[in-house]
Amino acid sequence: MKWIPTCKETSVLASRAMDERLRFADRMALRLHLAICENCARFNEQLQAMRRLFHEDAAPGDDAPGLAPGARQRIATELQNQRDT
Amino acid sequence: MDTLDAHTWLADHGDYLFRVARRQLHSDELAEDAVQETLLAALSAQARYTGDASPRTWLTGILKHKIVDLIRRSLREVEIPCDADGEEAVDLLFKQDGHWAGPLRPWGNPHAEAELGQLRRVLDECADRLKPVMAQVFSLREVAGMETDEICKELGITPTNCWVLLHRARLFMRQCLELNGFSKAGAA
Repeated sequence: MKWIPTCKETSVLASRAMDERLRFADRMALRLHLAICENCARFNEQLQAMRRLFHEDAAPGDDAPGLAPGARQRIATELQNQRDT
Repeated sequence: MDTLDAHTWLADHGDYLFRVARRQLHSDELAEDAVQETLLAALSAQARYTGDASPRTWLTGILKHKIVDLIRRSLREVEIPCDADGEEAVDLLFKQDGHWAGPLRPWGNPHAEAELGQLRRVLDECADRLKPVMAQVFSLREVAGMETDEICKELGITPTNCWVLLHRARLFMRQCLELNGFSKAGAA
């Protein structure tokens, strides 16, 4: 990787930095590119915003649909079968 | 002990378990399977339930394993992740010289709970539109908060495949969110 990566390469580094600590050279390359590129800086912020919004503890989660009646019935039957065997 | 407990679990926690599973599996059918397998496993293991944790916490712990099991099984049926389609879709987001194809709009900082709730619904809808395996790996990472090396180990995929899937998922998610009014909704 060149010492200033392209936006496409930066998106790879920014994504990977969400998952693990980058090697020193990659970390510097990422930081350098983010300092001079508004789009990539925004991309990087949005990756973090997605994580905050998406994380399970952040979700209110009670207005999403629950178990469909048919599925609930099937599961109840399976539970009954397991007890009977 | 009889099945009274398992039926109570289904009544009290069925919807909750389903919602947790649905957000990570991105399929109603798989989420129903996950709930069923969780309750069946809980039923056979109920003698080991000590009551230290609430039933919901205990069941959710079992559910997490079942979710990973189901993803592992669905992975066997597909080739991951280096399909040409995915690579081409990524290429469309960038110019030939590696710059972004278009400007990225800012999202702003939504604070109102109603606004947040709406944004999360859009997030879930966008994730549902990813290819199933990509959505599932992305959700194990971002919803369940599993570490990538743990995801690779549990699912039996290489770290490189993991990075590629996550990178693509993030690019496609971002684009989907922007197309669905994220920038406007957040700009309050």
